[in-house]
Amino acid sequence: MVEQEQKETKPQTQPSFEQRSGLRELFELFSLTGFVYGPLDERLDIRDALEKNLKKPVPHHVNWLFCFGGISLFLFVVQGVTGIMLLMYYRPTVAEAYKSVVFITNNVPFGWLVRGLHHWAANLMIIMVFLHMARVFFYGAYKPPRDFNWVTGVILLTLTLGFGFTGYLLPWSQISYWATTVGTEVPAAVPFIGGFLSTLIRGGQAVGQSTLTRFFAVHVVILPLVISFFLLGHFFMIRKQGISGPL
Amino acid sequence: MSAKLEKDWREEGEPFFPNHMLDQGMVVFVTLAILVTLVMFFPAPMEPPADPFETPEHIKPEWYFLSAYQALKVAEYFSFLGAWAPKALGILMQAVGILALILLPFLDKNPERHPRKRPVVIGIGILALILLAALTIWGKLS
Ligand code: HEM
Repeated sequence: MVEQEQKETKPQTQPSFEQRSGLRELFELFSLTGFVYGPLDERLDIRDALEKNLKKPVPHHVNWLFCFGGISLFLFVVQGVTGIMLLMYYRPTVAEAYKSVVFITNNVPFGWLVRGLHHWAANLMIIMVFLHMARVFFYGAYKPPRDFNWVTGVILLTLTLGFGFTGYLLPWSQISYWATTVGTEVPAAVPFIGGFLSTLIRGGQAVGQSTLTRFFAVHVVILPLVISFFLLGHFFMIRKQGISGPL
Repeated sequence: MSAKLEKDWREEGEPFFPNHMLDQGMVVFVTLAILVTLVMFFPAPMEPPADPFETPEHIKPEWYFLSAYQALKVAEYFSFLGAWAPKALGILMQAVGILALILLPFLDKNPERHPRKRPVVIGIGILALILLAALTIWGKLS
C-alpha cells in the first residue's frame, strides 16, 4: 500500500529524449561552429539531417553478430591511416624497398607500431570480412532485395584479398619475392591468354622492378580508389534497404 | 518529442544515439586494444631480403591464400588426363567457386531465411567451410 502511494507521487513527465541522451549538448557543440543553429543550417537544414540520422532506431534483433561489417570498415580505416604513414618512409624500388622497411621498423619513432598495426589490421580485416560474409550467409540476408549488395560484397572480398596479395610483395623480402613469383605463375595456366595475363601482372617475364612498381601502384592508389567506390555503394544500399529483418 | 511518438519509436528499436553509438565505440576500442596487444607481442616479421638467385625450399603464400594454393596442388592428381590438366583444372575450380559465390542469391531461390528452413543451402555452405578449413590446414602442414 505504502509502495503504491510512493509510485503514484513520482513525477509523471520524463525528460525529453533530447535531454536524456545528450543530443542537445552535441547540437550545441556543433552550433558553436555555426553549423546547427547558424547561417549554414538555415541554408542546409543540417540540424534536421543530424536529428533524423541520430534518432534512427536500431532494431532489437540486431545482435553482436552484426558487428563484423562495421569492424571490417574500422580496420579498413586503420589501414588507410597507417598506410599513409608508412608511405612517408617506404621507397618502392628493388634497391631500397627492403632497407626502407627495416628503417621504418628500427629507426623511425613508433615505426614498429605503425608497421605492426598495418600488418595485423590486414590479417584481422580478412578474418572479419569472412565472418561478416558468414553472418550474411547464415541469416539469409543475401536474398532479394539485398542480392545486389551480396554481389557488391563478393567484389569487396576480392578487393580485400587483392590488397593482401599486392602488399605482400612490397617489403621485397625473400618470402614476399618468392611467394609472388609462385602466385603470379598461377594465371599463366588460363587457356589461351594465360601467358599474356602473367606478363601483364608481372610487367615482364620475371618478378622484378616493374612488378614492384606495378604492385605498389595497385596497392596504394588503384585498390583504395576502387574499394572506396564499392564501399560507398555497399553502404548506400544498406541505408536505403535497412538492415535485414528478424529471422 | 511527444510521449506517444517516443513510445512507438522505442518499440521499433534501440536509439542509435547514444545507445548504439556507445556499443560501437566499445567495439572499436576493444578492436584497437587487441590490435595493439598483437603488435606488441607478435611484431610484424622481418624476413631476409629478396634474393632472386636463391630459391627457398618451401614457398608458401599467406594463410588466407593457403586453401587456393593447396587446391592447385590437389589438382595435380589430374595429371593422368594430360600435361595441361592440373593447372587448367585447378584454375577452373577456383573460378567456379568464386562464380558460385557471386551467383548465390540468384541460384538460391528459396525465400525462407531461417537456417532450419533451408537445409540444402546451409548444408552446402557448411561443407564449403569445412573444405576451406581442411585445405588451409593441409596447405599449412604439407
Ligand atoms: C570490405 C569489406 C566489407 C565491409 C567494410 C562491409 C560492411 C558492411 C556493414 C557495416 C554492413 C551493415 C551490417 C553488418 O555489419 O552486418 C554490411 C551489410 C551487408 N554486407 Fe557487407 N561489408 C563488407 C564485405 C561484404 C562481403 C564480402 C559480403 C558478402 C559476400 C557482404 C554482404 C553484405 C550484405 C548482403 C549486407 C546486408 C546485410 C543485412 O541487411 O543484414 N559484405 N556490410
